[in-house]
Amino acid sequence: MNRTRLLFVVIISSAVLVIVGTLAWRMLTDTPGDAGLTIARPESLTIRVLTALPVEPWIRAAADDFNAGTHTVDGVPIEVEIIAMDGLTALGKWGRNDFGALPADVRPDDLSTEERAALNDFPTAWIPDSRYLVELANASYKERLGRDVFLTDGQYRARPAAVSLFIWGFYNSRGQALQKSLGDISWSTIHDAAIAPAGWPELGGDPSWGFFKLAIPDPRKNVGGLATMIAAAGEYYDRTDISVEDVTNPEFQTWLAELMGAATDLSGGSAYTAEDFALFGYTAGDGGQFLESDLLQNLQGILTRWEEPPIILYPRFVTWFDFPFSVWVGPETSALEKNAALAFQRFLLNETQQHQALAFGLRPANPTVPVNATEDSLFVRWQEQGVQDVVPRTTAMRSPNRDVLLALLRWYELNVAQ
Amino acid sequence: MNISPKRKRRYIRFLIIGGVMFFLLCACAITTVRVGQWIIDSLFGNEPGVDRDGQTVIFTWPSNSAELTVAVSADMSEMLVERARVFNASNHRTPDGQQMRVELVTMPPQKMVERALQQPNFQALAPDSSLWLGRIDQRWAALYPPEEGGFAASRVGQSIRYAVSPIVIAAWADTARQLGWPQQAIGWQQIQAKATEDANFKWNHPSTANAVGMLATLSEFYAGAGITRGLTEEIATRPTVLEYVRDVEATVRFYGEGGEIMQRLQDEGRDFLDVFVTQEQTVIAWNQAGNRREQLVALYPKEGTLWADHPLALLELDGRTGPALTNNQRRTYQAFTKFLLDDESQLALLQAGYRPADLTIDLKAGNSPFVNNNAVDAQQPQRVLQIPSASVVDVVLNVWRYTKRPTNVYLVVDTSGSMEGRKLRRTKTALHSFVAQIQGDQDKIGLVEFGSGVKHLEPLQSMDRDGRSQLLQVIESMEARGYTALVDAVRSAYMDLQSMADTAAINAIVVMTDGRENDSHFELRDLQAAMDEAQVPVVIFTIAFGQDADERLLQDIARLGGGQFRRADETDIEELYRIISTYF
Repeated sequence: MNRTRLLFVVIISSAVLVIVGTLAWRMLTDTPGDAGLTIARPESLTIRVLTALPVEPWIRAAADDFNAGTHTVDGVPIEVEIIAMDGLTALGKWGRNDFGALPADVRPDDLSTEERAALNDFPTAWIPDSRYLVELANASYKERLGRDVFLTDGQYRARPAAVSLFIWGFYNSRGQALQKSLGDISWSTIHDAAIAPAGWPELGGDPSWGFFKLAIPDPRKNVGGLATMIAAAGEYYDRTDISVEDVTNPEFQTWLAELMGAATDLSGGSAYTAEDFALFGYTAGDGGQFLESDLLQNLQGILTRWEEPPIILYPRFVTWFDFPFSVWVGPETSALEKNAALAFQRFLLNETQQHQALAFGLRPANPTVPVNATEDSLFVRWQEQGVQDVVPRTTAMRSPNRDVLLALLRWYELNVAQ
Repeated sequence: MNISPKRKRRYIRFLIIGGVMFFLLCACAITTVRVGQWIIDSLFGNEPGVDRDGQTVIFTWPSNSAELTVAVSADMSEMLVERARVFNASNHRTPDGQQMRVELVTMPPQKMVERALQQPNFQALAPDSSLWLGRIDQRWAALYPPEEGGFAASRVGQSIRYAVSPIVIAAWADTARQLGWPQQAIGWQQIQAKATEDANFKWNHPSTANAVGMLATLSEFYAGAGITRGLTEEIATRPTVLEYVRDVEATVRFYGEGGEIMQRLQDEGRDFLDVFVTQEQTVIAWNQAGNRREQLVALYPKEGTLWADHPLALLELDGRTGPALTNNQRRTYQAFTKFLLDDESQLALLQAGYRPADLTIDLKAGNSPFVNNNAVDAQQPQRVLQIPSASVVDVVLNVWRYTKRPTNVYLVVDTSGSMEGRKLRRTKTALHSFVAQIQGDQDKIGLVEFGSGVKHLEPLQSMDRDGRSQLLQVIESMEARGYTALVDAVRSAYMDLQSMADTAAINAIVVMTDGRENDSHFELRDLQAAMDEAQVPVVIFTIAFGQDADERLLQDIARLGGGQFRRADETDIEELYRIISTYF
């Protein structure tokens, strides 16, 4: 073998050795296939959707339907996993980066196998209670990464999955006594009832009812608690935009403290206020403010357990929840996962699933579906209790900013929870 | 460069032999380490979660573990153990093929709170009330405060309720009628007034380690202050309030928990108690059993009550204080909660006397135990007693330690030769737990160590810092040797309590032995004679530790002392001592 041939053999052998060595190393270190020249197509794809508690039963049922079908993205079957989480809890997790989003200068390809594996559980999409929670999460990540992580326009923009609003719900006997004694129910009349020193005897009710008891969500467990306090502030100031100065105004705080003095604290109160109302009856409250869908879902339970039909009234200042389906656009999830999330988003917005939402007391986000479209719509079933297809003329509160939310939460912690 | 074929073959052979040798050496090394570890564990009997001294060590689980350990309160333990058995038998699988399993550990809710803040040996908890979950989160937020402008992290994650039951005052039917039931509503104040005015009226509530005891104690503070809401730290510490609570607490027979109370009610009927505070479910379960001499009724306190709302909550173990919650454990939690909320589980809970969380189940239809049952009222309660803020509850708990009825208790401990080794180590751990549970500064504990006669009698001493430290030193210095002079030891403790003549306190003896009486000067009849002449009532609890204990003698002693006989082994001796400590 002459020198040229020998050199040729050495070069070829070296190349083969490098390739074999690399393949052996990849097999030993279990490097994922998509880190190489070609992207390996997974056999199936699981997407994880963080879901706000009020829509969780509907979304979970829809996910079951979706998973039972043959939905694919680029030929890969999709599996949807629902993770129920209150919007405020999820916002706290985004804020603390509990899910482990990567720093701005790190790409998934730079990660070790273990670090990549940790991203397998990263949420693909988030359905919080309200659009403003998405904005607050974006604000948090903008500080850290310099960009939004949930988009407000384009293909991956957040789209409402369904809507609901906060309404008054009262046990009939209590509601009637209160209206007879104090007039139309509003935050102002609730405040008057809350500070009545003798309780129900002073309000025209039965002495055995004790003091007036207000049922509202606990803001530490349910973002709806903050929504109701913001609505109360709206009525107090007679405007829709609430600032930190409004929240920290001592006169307002005194008024709010008196109001909250009537809020029941079962200490077993859960994130599901209307369910508490049904499960614990009058001990959970004589009435209060609930998310419409929650109350409608629990009306039958209230009747079954306590045999008294509640009445439903629409407040003047309302807060809407629009449950935006928001796809995470960071590099922590693959393009395939993002597209799979979009497929599930489209599935939720189709007419069949929007019809299904009616059975959960949710107002469809798809404008072609009326609230009385189906026989099992809770809007049809509970009309006699006061539920209305078209929300009466009310004033919608504007989305609060992060500082207002934190100020309210801090006030609640110091003055009510403590 | 030419290499001869012969040399080439030699090189290849050398490489192959070298490779095989290297592989074998590695295999040998791994095997040696594994076998060595196994031998050490076998010799020293290491058990998961407990080190060789019986102390708690770090709990861990594989990163793909699908086994969910749930801490459950004693009142629901039996029911959940059965549900978990059915669940485990149904062979649920995670997506990666792991079998989902649910294991249960029983502990009082207050202990769950303490453990959850450190490194718990459970990933989910099922206390009797959600109020404990709130306390976990509050204390967690204090341990790990949020960053400026951020939201506090929550230690408690997803939570469901699978059943509820209001807390009631259980009374014998004719006792309830004498109090005015069913014509008029009965309240906490009425019961407390009766207890302080009528020396023959016997009532009980559990310790504040669970929701029932917490509510009963709170009700005393409310009644003492003459209010039904708005209890503050200032009000709770007023001298008049403390005096009222002290007077009421002095009438409490002792602070026992559900199952123990039921057993004694079964044995002694109304001689034991007239009324007691418990869950509505207990009343239903008592009346459902066919062999009861008398029926109980549930009185829903007119000032308001609380609910035992039986949550099942997941802990968000984020790896900060031990291994993190795995996704498979999260899936097991989801599957188990779904299982608990299905029709079969919910109807099983209803039949056991609970109100199911499934609101579609009508309490007054079908064969529900609420149908045609005058002892309970599904439309009650209508008023709730306001739970004050956590800081006020802390004050109430601390104040209670000073106002509750004081206790004088002797621990009579067998340290004969048969207790050598592991048994004695476990006993020492159990005694440590017992001493830790007794928190009142007015409470006194003494210790009688026996083998061949009474080896050491440590007189009753207050559980202040010095007294506690001294007693723990005595416990640590105990050594196993000699025979078993059981009766002599019990008599020594009994006579010492008689000589103190402290009738204002609960006087008790807790006796433990693993063997048979074989070295006493006195006999059982001598002990009985001493009891017949006694001026001070002394309750005696007896524990048969292991298979060889003289159960008949221990049962006789417990019967004479009006207490209870219990069996224990190395796995549950600590828990048994803890349960007994709740009586005081």
